[in-house]
Amino acid sequence: MKLDPIPDGRKTVRVRDVDPEASWRPYRDVPPPGPHPHDPPGGPRLVGGRIPLVDGPLKATGQAAYTDDLRLPGLLHGRFVRSTRAHARIVSLDTGRAAAMPGVVAVLTGLDTFQLPDGSTARIGDRRFGVLPLSRDEEALPAEKVRFVGDYVALVAAEDEETAEAAARAVAVGYEDLPPCLDPVQGLQAAAEKIHPGTGLDGSNVQKHVDQEFGDCEAALRNSPLVLRGRFTFRGLNHAFAEPHCVIADAGPGNRLTVWSATQVPHYVQRALADVTGLPLHRIQVIRPYVGGGFGGKGDPFPFEAAAALMALRVGRPVKVRLDREGVFYSGRGRHPTDLEMGLALDAEGGLKGLDVQAVLDGGAYASFGIITTYYTGVMCMGPYKVPAFRYRGRRVYTNHVPSGAMRGHGGVNNRFALEVLLDEAAERLGQDPINLRLRNLMAPYSHTINGFRITSMGLRECLERVREGSGWDARFRRMPVGRGLGVGCGFFISGSNLPIHWDIPPHEYPQSTVHLKLDLDCGVTVHTGAADIGQGSDTVAALVVAEVLGVGLDRIRVRSQDSDTAPVDLGSYSSRVTFMMGNAARRAAEDLRRQLVAGAARRLGGHAEAYVLRDGEVVDATDPQRRLGFDEAARAAIAGSGALVAKGTFVSSPMGGAFKGATAGLAPAYSVNACVAEVDVDVESGAWACTKAWVAHDCGRALNRLAVEGQIEGSFHMGLGQVQGEALEYQGAALRNASLLDYKVPTALDTPQITTYIVESNDVDGPFGAKEAGEGPLLPVLPAIANAIYDAVGVRCRDLPATPDRVHALLQAARGPRKPAAPGVRGP
Amino acid sequence: MSLLPPFELHRPSSLAEAVELAALHAPDASYLAGGTDLLPGYRQGLGPRSHVISLDGIAELRVLETERIGAMVRLAELEESEAVARVHPVLPKASRAIATPLVRASATVGGNLLLDNRCTFLNQSHLVRSHHDFCLKAGGGGMCRVAPQKTTCFATFSADLPAPLLALDAAYHLAGPDGKRTVPARAFYKGDGIARNALRPGEILTGISLPPASRGLAACYEKLRLRRSVDFPEAGIAVAARFSDAGNLREAHICATALATTPLLLSHFAEPFLGQALTPESAQKIGEAVAKAVRPAPNTSMPQSYRRTMAGLLAKRALLGALAQWSGRRSA
Repeated sequence: MKLDPIPDGRKTVRVRDVDPEASWRPYRDVPPPGPHPHDPPGGPRLVGGRIPLVDGPLKATGQAAYTDDLRLPGLLHGRFVRSTRAHARIVSLDTGRAAAMPGVVAVLTGLDTFQLPDGSTARIGDRRFGVLPLSRDEEALPAEKVRFVGDYVALVAAEDEETAEAAARAVAVGYEDLPPCLDPVQGLQAAAEKIHPGTGLDGSNVQKHVDQEFGDCEAALRNSPLVLRGRFTFRGLNHAFAEPHCVIADAGPGNRLTVWSATQVPHYVQRALADVTGLPLHRIQVIRPYVGGGFGGKGDPFPFEAAAALMALRVGRPVKVRLDREGVFYSGRGRHPTDLEMGLALDAEGGLKGLDVQAVLDGGAYASFGIITTYYTGVMCMGPYKVPAFRYRGRRVYTNHVPSGAMRGHGGVNNRFALEVLLDEAAERLGQDPINLRLRNLMAPYSHTINGFRITSMGLRECLERVREGSGWDARFRRMPVGRGLGVGCGFFISGSNLPIHWDIPPHEYPQSTVHLKLDLDCGVTVHTGAADIGQGSDTVAALVVAEVLGVGLDRIRVRSQDSDTAPVDLGSYSSRVTFMMGNAARRAAEDLRRQLVAGAARRLGGHAEAYVLRDGEVVDATDPQRRLGFDEAARAAIAGSGALVAKGTFVSSPMGGAFKGATAGLAPAYSVNACVAEVDVDVESGAWACTKAWVAHDCGRALNRLAVEGQIEGSFHMGLGQVQGEALEYQGAALRNASLLDYKVPTALDTPQITTYIVESNDVDGPFGAKEAGEGPLLPVLPAIANAIYDAVGVRCRDLPATPDRVHALLQAARGPRKPAAPGVRGP
Repeated sequence: MSLLPPFELHRPSSLAEAVELAALHAPDASYLAGGTDLLPGYRQGLGPRSHVISLDGIAELRVLETERIGAMVRLAELEESEAVARVHPVLPKASRAIATPLVRASATVGGNLLLDNRCTFLNQSHLVRSHHDFCLKAGGGGMCRVAPQKTTCFATFSADLPAPLLALDAAYHLAGPDGKRTVPARAFYKGDGIARNALRPGEILTGISLPPASRGLAACYEKLRLRRSVDFPEAGIAVAARFSDAGNLREAHICATALATTPLLLSHFAEPFLGQALTPESAQKIGEAVAKAVRPAPNTSMPQSYRRTMAGLLAKRALLGALAQWSGRRSA
């Protein structure tokens, strides 16, 4: 694969003159180990414990109400008519027979018009939205054409589901087929019929292109003693979360639109609904009930939400649209199918000299987060190793496939796989141990990458040491019998995207997260946050951070995070941003409340407010412990004369990064790092393999809740295993052929090994109590660790995922059977 | 997947009553056993009927003895049956390789023997099937989407239990409007993915029995699938064999599943090796012959060429598994 640069003076970034050594030089000392500045006097009581999630009992007992559990008076049921064509113009839409069926209340199509608040009319199919303000290319319902098999065509609302389904089938759609684009590499060429006319590159289906170069990568590739190249391919994935999408929209009395939706991004849903309906934001309420998992798959505003809202506005009754599992697959937004070529240059000692990445991403039918994915597929390779020269060419191509988007490890998984597999190859070629090769190239804590990422804490050395020891690496790598292998991989991920995607510019004027607290005469603390708990535990993070600062138990805290009317804006649960950003906002809000409480105590008991500390449910004068109030008394003392206390905390990330186009992509207030060693057994006759054991060490800065961090590491492992073992979107013709949990093969419990987790705490200076993310990063090292273990076991390199038994078998056949690669220290050919 | 279409559920308590109900509502009726295959099909619009006759209340279908197994015995019960395991341990073992524990708690022996054939063009929603303009087996299209040149259906036989049952030469017992009859399992399955078997309209599979001659056969079932649970077979080979005291192969019955529209009896590939000691080399040769003989259709999840090659490997392993079992039994 050779991607030619796209001549585009404004967009091509070429920074030849970089000074790697200066970038890599630490900009500050590593803070000494010990208490974090956020720790309360005397040390934390909750942080670092093993705390069951605050909503766990509700969920475990079936009492947590998910969207589909909600029952509203007069509720209607919606069903979509979906496209049977990959790419087609809609030439006729006959809804008459459906509309006439008893029990059918309305049928909505993209050709229907509705009244905007200013009195003018708009056609549904002309109202665009999208998660990124730069690429609003989705409609609630299309007026002109469909773009993949499963795309939305019309929405039927009826008194019951059976009627809605029958009516949806009675809608007659006439199509005129258009030439489809089913191959993204072909899509680089001129298109007979663009999927989205007027967007992306002229004449082709390329939606986004990124051309970047830092340093002289060409020279590094030309002059280095060891250069490795590899072509890697990856299929598309689905998140396979437990709870299918579900939305209820209601435009009842009060002239407001209320939408309940299983979403990771309530505020983006609110914005998209405003874009579509024309309603001002203040007339749109978004409620996020309990959510059964998202992993990025509920991180976009969706057509089904917009269409349900328009239907509710039309009929004046609440409408529920619940997707079935097949519909979940059509909602897509999973990992991009990717065709990736990577070149890696090293010196004779194993020092990295240059990294060259080319990638073609199958974006599917819509943009989603794709602009960001395109950048990430390059720049996420910039850590955790010192890369002195880097070149990236990335192309995201619209195709008539299910739309791709963000999925756990967004934009950092496939490229990481390629890099870590090539490092394994490099180590073998150099006769070095692959862990040692990685250690040699590690970035220092508190330093910069050549493209301007500001690295803070960095515990990768310890991560590698832990998995090395835990797995018995030194005694077993390359030393087990043929068929058994160990492999290592590392990961590097953002702990929150530094660039907030707000609907107003300039973005940095608005915090990325705000938390409100209320303390009234019942002496309980209500935490208001817009952070979306999708099962990852953000409500628990909010509660425990506030409880920690106030020195009280979790029983005193209640979190209200579901309602946009009361929740201050938080951008949502994506890019692993919530613990870092909302956690800091919650901490600051609690510190604000603490100031009010100690002031009240000082008023009541005398002394200096600053001398009072909150701990163990009391407010105590540290200089005169006789002066003490129970928390209830202290709260009432502070409320006296002022009324209920309110407090606020925010998080705004610091400005950082370079001044070139795209410089913000990949910037984060901190980065997580991790290492994984996987052990596999390969059946040399069939190519079937099983991952039998795994060790994962993750630097999350500081574990606020060890139980939750371990859960995230284990869940990440399982999801990473899936992409290697057999998860893949498979098409038959232009239609998905495995849009079900029978045919889309998520690993079962029996396929999942015992996972040993290690929490590494690098105590980040800026994270709340030192914490960084743990929800996505631990997935990254899993894929290459398994592939490298297969190599150790049988001597074949899986560069195409998933590494299904038939593929491993074919590799073994081509290699004329299994072999044990040479041990480190023994140079290969 | 769509909602379950409405139907009238009948719950007869005798075979005669069930057969009568079926005749009354024919052809708009189907029998319901565990429902784990029938009802997902209904939800995809594959052959839904207005009358569903549950066989759950018919006591005689639940018999579970060493050599007689009723059609309504749940797979989970078969797995737990010590009586069956004592004589034919391959049956509980093959049963455990089916679907998931949750499915097996409901799914039945009879349901597995009559599992509908499967195809990546067939087992799809109405939406996907209409994208492909339907197919021979469902939706009225005039063409098999797997082999567009052909006028027969290539849907793959995907049940596990029939493989060992054919190898053991079981008999299937049927009851219908014309009375009861018994058909050898080896003669039961025939035809393409639509015809499938010898079951006549309105007939019920009441159970199976194992012949006395099957006692003492050492049997083994090997299944190819991606995951260690859930998945239907991509290929499966059962072997039932007898060895002489000297360890020579006296008889060997080989049956393949998931490689054609019916199970395949492949015992003749072992014939040249009868009377000889079974070795890894001879098992390998038999396997190679099996691989050469089978022609799976490209309508499951794994590539057909791989399934073919693996059929040979599974045959080899099943043969050696039977040998190991025989040796183990003898030394015990």
